[in-house]
Amino acid sequence: MTAPPDVLLEIAWRFGSLSLLAVGGINALLPEFHRVVVDLKGWMTSAEFADLFALAQLAPGPNAMVVSLLGWKVAGIAGAFVATIAACGPSSLLCYFAMSRWERMQSSRPRAVIQRALAPIAIGLVLASGFTLARAADRSVAALALTVAATLAIGFTRVNPVWVLALAALVGISGLA
Amino acid sequence: MVDGDVDERSAPREVPRTYAVLFVSFLKMGLLGFGGVMPWARRVLVDERRWMTEREFVELLGMCQILPGPNVVNMSVILGARWMGVAGALLALTGILFVPVVVVLMMAASYATVAQSELARNAIAAASAAAAGLILGTALRLLRGARPPPHGLVVGAAVFVAVAIVHAPLLWVLAVAVPAAIALEWRASR
Repeated sequence: MTAPPDVLLEIAWRFGSLSLLAVGGINALLPEFHRVVVDLKGWMTSAEFADLFALAQLAPGPNAMVVSLLGWKVAGIAGAFVATIAACGPSSLLCYFAMSRWERMQSSRPRAVIQRALAPIAIGLVLASGFTLARAADRSVAALALTVAATLAIGFTRVNPVWVLALAALVGISGLA
Repeated sequence: MVDGDVDERSAPREVPRTYAVLFVSFLKMGLLGFGGVMPWARRVLVDERRWMTEREFVELLGMCQILPGPNVVNMSVILGARWMGVAGALLALTGILFVPVVVVLMMAASYATVAQSELARNAIAAASAAAAGLILGTALRLLRGARPPPHGLVVGAAVFVAVAIVHAPLLWVLAVAVPAAIALEWRASR
């Protein structure tokens, strides 16, 4: 599939201009991506957008890959890579320059205080994302039991998560959950 | 393997020694990161490779969350650059992002057929429930590893409630929580 260069350019600047606003990751900007690709440009339907979002959650790799799939839908493989680089490039560059300065700073008190202060916020956000996913996934008692069992297994043992996920998938196939 | 209850701050610190080891480690996080890459990033970086302590991981995750961009993508850029410069950042990014993009594009082609199958839908639903547990369990580990002081626990709990229960916009939550957390930590460390 070959995409016209003007479509690729448009993906690049539309997605690229959102990159530096993606505080909290791409998911924080999903409504904005939806507005651009569905409402503004009509590149896909709302249902197609939802399917691509579900696939990105499901697939291995960062959930931010939903932008790669949006690009792919619009302009094929080239679109996928243009979209990925546009959405993640500017934020990655900012991160690179900001953090290389930050890490060159002497281990000063402000730096230590800020790092320690952010740690509980990070944990609160991780808990919140786990909770939100659990609320979406746990539509039955059996599914809730799987979430609890996985939480305990990962939180308190060194079991490899691959086995936890594989076992859960088997339980699903067997029709128990 | 020992359990995580040993004082991990005294655990030996390693650094990646070759480009290959750096790339393979980030590739592993990317390709195994079903339902979220962060639990795998913690496991590989802290437990398996011992390149970071639990506390360093959670502090860096906090930085990545307030910078724009996907957290794990930011983290791969920062760590790759810290250990091996620009080439390291690009290798880490390729492993955690670009290779999984190729995989997801291959999946996308067959997704419509697979999604029709009830067997696949059941397996996916159950694995998603477990994947949520993967993230919750990782949060428990981070909590035990970072051992926040009482005011930190209050901040963390407030952030959780604001985002997960109240559904407040993340930007607003951070605009309040970050300065508050820094002020509290500054006072406490005097």
